[in-house]
Amino acid sequence: MTLPSDGPIPTGSLPGGSLPGGPIPGSTVPSGQLRTEPVLACAGVRRSFPVGERRLEILHGINLELRAGERLALMGTSGAGKTTLLHILGLLDRPTEGSVYVAGQDAWSLSARRRANLRNEKIGFVFQFYHLLPELSALENAVLPAMIKLSRRAFRSNRAEFLDRATTMLTRFGLADRLGHRPSQLSGGEQQRIAIARALLLDPPILIADEPTGNLDRGTGEKVLEILLDEQSERGVALMLVTHDERLAKRCERVLYMEDGLIQADSSAPIPT
Amino acid sequence: MFRTFLSLRYLKARKTNWIGMAGILVAVGALVLILSIMAGFLEESRRTLRGNLADLVIQPSFQSSVLQENGDWVPMQTDVERMLEIIREDPGVAAATPQLQWYGIFAPDGGESALEKPMQDAIQLIELVGIDVEGEGEATDFRESLETEFGKKPGLGKHCNVGRPADLDDPFVNLREIRQRRTRPKVPILVGEQLAYLWGLRRGQEVSLVTATYDENSSKLNETAANARFQVVGSFRSKDNETDSRRIYMDRRALADFLQRDRLWSAVLVKLNDYKRDKEAVRARLWSKLHAEGFLSAPGIRINEFRTWEDFRATLLAAIQNEKALMGIMLSLVLVVAGFTVFALLSMMVTEKRRDIGILCALGATPRGVLALFLMIGLWEAVIGSAFGALVGVLGAYNIDAIERKLSSTFGFQIFNRDIYLFDYIPAEVSVSGVAWIVGGAVFSTLLFAAIPAWRASRLDPVEALRHE
Ligand SMILES: Nc1ncnc2c1ncn2[C@@H]1O[C@H](COP(=O)(O)OP(=O)(O)OP(=O)(O)O)[C@@H](O)[C@H]1O
Ligand SMILES: [Mg+2]
Repeated sequence: MTLPSDGPIPTGSLPGGSLPGGPIPGSTVPSGQLRTEPVLACAGVRRSFPVGERRLEILHGINLELRAGERLALMGTSGAGKTTLLHILGLLDRPTEGSVYVAGQDAWSLSARRRANLRNEKIGFVFQFYHLLPELSALENAVLPAMIKLSRRAFRSNRAEFLDRATTMLTRFGLADRLGHRPSQLSGGEQQRIAIARALLLDPPILIADEPTGNLDRGTGEKVLEILLDEQSERGVALMLVTHDERLAKRCERVLYMEDGLIQADSSAPIPT
Repeated sequence: MFRTFLSLRYLKARKTNWIGMAGILVAVGALVLILSIMAGFLEESRRTLRGNLADLVIQPSFQSSVLQENGDWVPMQTDVERMLEIIREDPGVAAATPQLQWYGIFAPDGGESALEKPMQDAIQLIELVGIDVEGEGEATDFRESLETEFGKKPGLGKHCNVGRPADLDDPFVNLREIRQRRTRPKVPILVGEQLAYLWGLRRGQEVSLVTATYDENSSKLNETAANARFQVVGSFRSKDNETDSRRIYMDRRALADFLQRDRLWSAVLVKLNDYKRDKEAVRARLWSKLHAEGFLSAPGIRINEFRTWEDFRATLLAAIQNEKALMGIMLSLVLVVAGFTVFALLSMMVTEKRRDIGILCALGATPRGVLALFLMIGLWEAVIGSAFGALVGVLGAYNIDAIERKLSSTFGFQIFNRDIYLFDYIPAEVSVSGVAWIVGGAVFSTLLFAAIPAWRASRLDPVEALRHE
C-alpha cells in the first residue's frame, strides 16, 4: 500500500495519535503508514433499534479510524448497516454503545450546541438524494452552512466572501449559469454538485458521502464523482465514501467491507477469500 | 442567521402561511373594530345615562335639627344663598345652582295629542323642575339641550311642532312679554321633546297641571293649584330619553309659587372643574363644611344627601362596565381561533418539512435553532397579521359610519337602524392602549400556539427525517 501521489496528506501534528478515550481496542492501523492523528474515529460502536418489544442490533461494535486526507471506501451488502454507521460518524445519530471522536473530541460527551458546531465546521455531508432545501436557490443552498455557523451580523460582514467562495466553486463545477435556480429546476447531477459545494463551503476536514452517485446514471455519476475526488485530493479532506461500485473502491486508499453490522475486512489487511 | 433568512423565505414561498396571517389580520381587525365601536357605544351610553345630571347633587333631607359631631343639636339651615357661597368657595367647584323639583300630572285637558290614539285619558307623572336659567346653564347641560334642533331624530320631526325656544339666554322671555300683556299670568314652561310629542303640544299652547303637597302642620295632602295655567314656550332634548319624556322646566320661583310652599329649593347642583380627579375630594370637603354649618343632617356622608351623577346610575354603569369586560373576554376567543390556525398550519409545515429539518441538523443547526426558526415564522405571521389587522380595524372604526351607510345603500336595507338607538350615528372610540393590548395579545397568543409545533420540530430525529425520500 502506497500513499497516493496526487494528494497532500498532512502528517499528524500530535505524536502517537492517541485518542482522548485511550487506544481503541482492535483498531486497525495500516502497517507502514504514519500514525497520524485520526480526524474521525469510533470505538466499540453498537446501535440497536427497538422493533416491537425486542431490540434489533444493527451495528455490533465497530472500531474505525479515518485519518486526515485519507480516502476510504465503505462497501457491503444492502442492509449491512453502512448508512447507519455514517449517520453515527456524522453525529446525526447517537450510538447505543461506544464513542465517536471528531477531531479528537468525544462528541457525545459535549453539549448539543458544541456537537452541532462540530457537525457544522468539521463534517461535510453528501447524501444519495442530494437533500437540498427546495425553497432556496443553488447559491443559497451552497452558502447555507455559513449562515448556520455565523450570527446575522458576522454573516453580513462576510457575506461577499462566502458568496464568492460558493460562486467560484459552483462555477468550477460547471453551474455558473445555474446559481439562481431552485433545486426543482435542476437535474440530479447538478443538484449533487451543489450538495458537494455545500459540503465543502466551510473547508471541513471530514467529508462523508453516502452513495453520492447512487441516484445518478452512469455518465453523470462519473462526472460528479470526478468532481468529488478532485476536490477531496486538492483540499486534503478525509473522505469516507459508501459505494457499491468496485471500480470506485479501487480508487480509494482503503476499503472496508461491512457485513451484518461488523467490519469484516480491511483492504489494508489481506482480503479474505 | 439562517433563522431569520429561512423563516422569511418560508413565509414568502409558502402561500399557506398567508392563511394564518390573514386569520390574525381578520381577528385583530375585528377585535379593534368591535371594541372601538363598543367603547364608543359605552361612552355614548354613559353620556346618555348622565343626561342632564350634574356632577354632584346635594339634596338635604330637611329635618328640623342636625346632630353635630360634638353631640349638640343645631337647627337645620335652609338658606340656599349661604350654601351656594360655601360651595362656590371650594377650588374644585366650577359652578353651582339651586333647583326645586316636584311632581305633577297634566290636567285632563292637558293637550291635543298628535297620536292617533289620544293620550288624554292617560295619566303621566311629570317631573316639574324649577331652575335659575343662568345657573342651570352653567352647572348642567341644560343649554345644550335647548340648542338641539328639534326633529333631528328621524321619525319625530314631522309630528312635532314645538320648535326650539327663541332666546337661549332666557328661554322664558317670550312668555314674560305675554304675561305682561295679559291680566292673568301664565307660567312659561319648557317641555321635554318626547313629552311634547306624546301630548301633541304646540308652542304657545296652554296646559294645566295638577299636583299635591304635604302640609306638615295638618298632616294632610293638599291638592294644589288645579287651575294654574302654564304656557309652552319651547322644548328641550337632553341625552336621556327618560328625562325628555317626563320633565318640564320652569322658573324656580314660579314653581315655588305654584306649590305654595315656603321652601324655595330642594337640591343644589354642582359642576366640578375636573370631575374624574376631584369628585371624592370635593365631596369630602364640601360635606364637612356644610355639615358643620348645619346644612346636612347625617353624621358621615349620607349617600342620598350627597350624590355624584354616577351614584344615580350606579347599577347601569356597573352593568355597562361588566358588559365591556365580558365582550373583551368573548372576543379574545377570536384570537385563540387565529392562534389555532397558526398552530395547525405550522404543524402541517413541520410535518412537511421534516426532511429540511434533518438537513439543517446535518449542516450543524442546533435543536434550539430549529425551534427558533419555526417560532420566528409564527412571529412574522403574528406581527405582520396584527399590524395590518390593527390598521384595518382603526381605519374601519374611524369610518364605520360611512361604511355602514355605503353597505346599507348597496344592500338596500339598514344595517344600523338609527331609530332604535339614542344616537343617530355609529359611535366609535379608538384607544391606543386598547389597540396595543390587542396586538400584544395576538402576538403573545400566536407565539404560544407556534411554540408547540416549533418544539416538536426541534425534537425531530434528523436521521429519521433524512431517511425519508
Ligand atoms: N430506525 C430503524 N429501526 C429499525 N431498523 C432500522 C432502522 N434504521 C435502519 N434499520 C435497519 O438497519 C439495517 C441497516 O440499514 P442501513 O440503511 O444502515 O443499511 P445500508 O447498509 O445503508 O443499506 P443500503 O446499501 O441498502 O443503503 C436495515 O436492515 C434497516 O432496516
Ligand atoms: Mg444506505
